[in-house]
Amino acid sequence: MAAIAEETSFDQASAITLADLRRARRRRRTEDFDVAEAVYRVYITAVVLGIAVWVLSGVVGDQRLGAATAAKAASRGPQVVGAVIGLGFAVGLRSGGRGGPLVIEAADVRHVLLSPVARAVALRRPALRQLRFGAAAGAGAGALAGLLAYRRLPGGFPAWLACGALVGGLAVPTGLGLAMMVSGRRVGRIGGAALGAAVAAWSAVDLAAHTTTSPATFLGDVALWPLKFRLVGLAGVAVGAVAMSAGLASVAGVSIEAAERRASLVGQIRFAATLRDLRTVVVLRRQLSQEQPRQTPWFRVPRSLAYPLQRGPAAGQARRFPVWRRGWHGIARFPGVRFLRMAVLGAVAGACSVAVYRGTTPLFLVAGGAMYVAGLDAIEPMAQEVDHPDRWESYTGERGILLLRQAGPSIVVMVAVAVVGVATAVAVTGGAALAWKIGLVVALPAALAGVGGATISVVQGAPAAFSSTDAMLPPEAAGARAIARIVVPPAVAVIGFVPVLVARHPSKGISSVGAAAGVVAPVLLVVALVGLWVRYRDAARAWFKAAMEEANTARKPPARPAGGH
Amino acid sequence: MATPNQPHALATSGLTKAYGDLVALEPVDLVVPDGQRLVLVGHNGSGKTTLLRMAAGLLEPSDGSVEIFGAPAGSDDARAALSYLPDSPVLYDDLSVLEHIEYTCRLHDAEDWEDRAVGLLTDLGLTERADDLPSRFSRGLRQKTAIVLALIRPFGLLLVDEPFVGLDPPGRDAFIELMDDAAAAGATVVVATHQMEYVAKVDRCVALRDGAVVYDGPPGDVDVLTLVG
Repeated sequence: MAAIAEETSFDQASAITLADLRRARRRRRTEDFDVAEAVYRVYITAVVLGIAVWVLSGVVGDQRLGAATAAKAASRGPQVVGAVIGLGFAVGLRSGGRGGPLVIEAADVRHVLLSPVARAVALRRPALRQLRFGAAAGAGAGALAGLLAYRRLPGGFPAWLACGALVGGLAVPTGLGLAMMVSGRRVGRIGGAALGAAVAAWSAVDLAAHTTTSPATFLGDVALWPLKFRLVGLAGVAVGAVAMSAGLASVAGVSIEAAERRASLVGQIRFAATLRDLRTVVVLRRQLSQEQPRQTPWFRVPRSLAYPLQRGPAAGQARRFPVWRRGWHGIARFPGVRFLRMAVLGAVAGACSVAVYRGTTPLFLVAGGAMYVAGLDAIEPMAQEVDHPDRWESYTGERGILLLRQAGPSIVVMVAVAVVGVATAVAVTGGAALAWKIGLVVALPAALAGVGGATISVVQGAPAAFSSTDAMLPPEAAGARAIARIVVPPAVAVIGFVPVLVARHPSKGISSVGAAAGVVAPVLLVVALVGLWVRYRDAARAWFKAAMEEANTARKPPARPAGGH
Repeated sequence: MATPNQPHALATSGLTKAYGDLVALEPVDLVVPDGQRLVLVGHNGSGKTTLLRMAAGLLEPSDGSVEIFGAPAGSDDARAALSYLPDSPVLYDDLSVLEHIEYTCRLHDAEDWEDRAVGLLTDLGLTERADDLPSRFSRGLRQKTAIVLALIRPFGLLLVDEPFVGLDPPGRDAFIELMDDAAAAGATVVVATHQMEYVAKVDRCVALRDGAVVYDGPPGDVDVLTLVG
């Protein structure tokens, strides 16, 4: 009895110490806090968010859906929203299997978690903070989705806003709670992935069978309350509360080894993100999810593949396409999860394309974004070469040509991803012939644009700490260039879906398929321009540098003759 | 020294660590009696840090077990009894040296720590920097701060990983003296190091090569350098 009392007293003292520690750190951080700057940041954020909402609302349009379509949305909506939430839960469970989602500072791991303070006491606050942040972020995103739904569906504005915020504010922390439960109970990588797949499959079954049985579909039902209130949605709220409580209760069992690894990697990812170094973020994120190249390749690159144009008996001929061959060697070692992710992204792009065709224009950005992210995976062989510049120095060929050749295998992979998207679109539309036809028109430009966007991102690399080009530009132009570096790569990928947008407006005598095919050439032109940029980038930079040096030399005053006055 | 009823300071049984196909530490059976001074030697990648981190509870064994004074590594009791000084100091960027000391002592329920803190800061030449943020320190000063934090709290077993990296000669001498004081006060001290001069000062030497123990005995009996390659 005395031992228990002593332990409780130590836990209370520990909690007070940890609270004091956090207070002291917060006080130190806020010593240099500039109120004016904080107000300015809030103001800028509000302006940017306001513009984003205004633009998105405008893109969605004000045209209300007809009664029949609204009824269909009320009937099928919970399953569709539930499938998206189920996918989010699956991601959370998978992360939990790898020790996520808690991110603890490296110093906290060393000083707090290695002290005799009970892990439950040490970790409850960071876990609560993460749930709180997830709820706030989810509520914000949900409210935005509710706002967009209100523009087209019947129902009051406050109802859509509140239900959207409620679903988002519950779904994200529920996913985090599930992840904490899995990591705290040490379910492991395979167990976490299996649970995630099961939860996603459950939602998919609901979607296919038009039933409401999974917790994710229950939550999806809440999202559609402004159209049709059903009590079953409350079950989703209850499941969310249980998942969060269970996550908090399990958090003490989290692996310290995983916590330390995550502390280090997440810190590096945040630093890379502040430097806008996307490639480093991608590589570190793979390390975080322990995504390693396969020891045994999926397939051996045959000589006939290495030398696809002339199948001759000479063994030496296989050496004629080393870059092409190197690309396939890299792809053959992709982990299975990367192929799966690319297939899912292709499916997302396909499903979004159907929604875009049917009038939900903003999903055009999601489709392009999905192909961009898939492109970042597919372009890995080229990225590996760019990551090792010393190797480039040993090559005799021009860098631009080598880079373009390196894109070949990645394009083949991305075409396969696009085919998954087409198959998804056909499945979503119940095998509509139009989906096949438009899909086949869009597949190649979407795949090429995805590779094009990813190639720009990889080739341009992280912004240099000091750029001689930026130094010569006026500040306004340098700022615009910095924004372009971020916006252009995904924008190129999004352009790949312009044919879907155009297909919505067939004119007299031109079918939807014909309209889509009509803009394929301009899209391919954009991709070709990306290719030219890759091919001649180094030469253009060298020319620019030489021109600037020449100009500087010309501006210098002539040397004063020795001994002159 | 440990009596028959008293658990050993550190005891491993078939302790193994593997990362996929790569075996970082082969099954290790090691018993370190209470009060002993032991040094771990071996080349880079031999498994010294892996062994220490598993004892500290930072790494989970792939197989086998490790106990600290009879308690499983990583448990509350083991954490209370063990102080781990890692090879690279990890400190809060927004706490001064004194604040680090205060919170470390409170987290470990240390009593009457103020006088000891003054002594440690003086010994390591940190008195003038006590109110400064370690984030502005050099590698050596950060290492000294970490040493203070490792020694200020109560412990029965001190695990030290490559302690001399970044330390100037006076700092190194001061730290060796502080470890001697800890051992004289009854603590068990386990040090992983490449510094062969330190090996002669301890009771026992364990040499590791490619994750396996290749020597375990008095430090003067063999040429350790040839053993570890």
